[in-house]
Amino acid sequence: MDHTVDPTDLTAAAAPDSLGNYLAGLPAPPMDHEHGPAKSVRTAEYQGHRIVITTTYEITVDDRPLTAGLDVDDSGMLSCHALPAYQFVSAVDAVRVLINSYPDAFRGGH
Amino acid sequence: MAVVRRNILTDQTARDDYVRGILLLKQEVGRHTTRQFGIAGPDTPVRTYDLFVIWHGKTMTTPIPPHGNPMVRNAAHRGPIFLPWHRVMLGLLEANLQRVLHKPDFALPYWDWSADGDLGSPADAAIFGHLGGDGDPVTTGPFAYHRTDPATFTVRIESDPSGMRLVQTSRGLRRSFAQPPPFGWRTLPTGAQVKGALDFAPPPGAAPADRYDVRDFNASSEGFRNRLEGWLPKDPSQPVHLHNQVHVWIGGDMGPATSPNDPLFYLHHCNVDRIWQGWLKRYGPLYAPDMTAPAATYLGERIDDPIVSPLGTVTSGPAATPRSVLDLSAVYTYDALP
Repeated sequence: MDHTVDPTDLTAAAAPDSLGNYLAGLPAPPMDHEHGPAKSVRTAEYQGHRIVITTTYEITVDDRPLTAGLDVDDSGMLSCHALPAYQFVSAVDAVRVLINSYPDAFRGGH
Repeated sequence: MAVVRRNILTDQTARDDYVRGILLLKQEVGRHTTRQFGIAGPDTPVRTYDLFVIWHGKTMTTPIPPHGNPMVRNAAHRGPIFLPWHRVMLGLLEANLQRVLHKPDFALPYWDWSADGDLGSPADAAIFGHLGGDGDPVTTGPFAYHRTDPATFTVRIESDPSGMRLVQTSRGLRRSFAQPPPFGWRTLPTGAQVKGALDFAPPPGAAPADRYDVRDFNASSEGFRNRLEGWLPKDPSQPVHLHNQVHVWIGGDMGPATSPNDPLFYLHHCNVDRIWQGWLKRYGPLYAPDMTAPAATYLGERIDDPIVSPLGTVTSGPAATPRSVLDLSAVYTYDALP
């Protein structure tokens, strides 16, 4: 287990055929959250009590449901899976930025 | 012999080679097609450059632990694996650039964005004179879009608004510098902010590796990693920092899961890697979690867990692990460390 990556291994893995074969073998992503509203579950323990907070986002844009992966962390900050470097204090802001960042997906009405 | 990664602003050869190599990888067609990667639409041959876009996008949908929620923690972000995974990605891109350039001594250059942050984050900073400015599409520099030129720099793979599915497109690169929040951020990180992350110290009596990260090893956990990744400090008045802040400042294609579409991605991450290397030099080869962290929750983040990469998966050598990339001085070094 105690090894350092060898430069020749890096080169072999970098070959387009190697990288392509690897990517082709990856499993399809889990799509659970595509069905129904985005759900975020926070859990904590406090004074022997188990806290579970489930937050559900049901979003429409132009009357059409929007499948947006939203998640609230323990600090209350909101993340959006399609905007992985962002963090929001408002779900409305997250959807505004989604529309701004994916103009082709929302063009002519969602 | 190890190559030396240098500042792109001060090394013209590295800069010219980088641009030329990226354009070559953008034109190189391999034997794989979009259908093999589960990308809907016509079955289209995939360029070598776009393999990296797909890799980053797919890793973003790979949960840690397996069967977990990739929005909470994925195989490359929002946890301790953030720095090791991107180190491997940079290594594989660098090897491809060496190959197409026929220059085994080529080293990936870095963009020290904190130097531009210290100058007030100008949208016309010197780097954009070399690599193009912003726009939809970008119309200046070597990655500008020219609709009638079949060899023009073209974005071909992007994610959809769920962030879970890759789709095909054909358009120019998008950048949108320094937008107001929530769409972007007005400034780049400064040198003082980088120093603040490097200086972070855990509470007295903490384990040495707590300086890197602590349980719950996610986007809320304390430590250098989470500060450099840019989730801390949790501050509603400035939601993102350092690494994340640079993505958000550039905007456009640097926002979604397919952010490697923008060649600035690699120059940015090379600088992130350089900052990590500076931290490793200061404090030694520290990493957390170790293998005592329960696999049920942390498999894929621990020091000897395989990094989600082709290494050891489709190649005969061992898998890369966080431990195996803490010292890559046999592969590359930096001309200067923060």
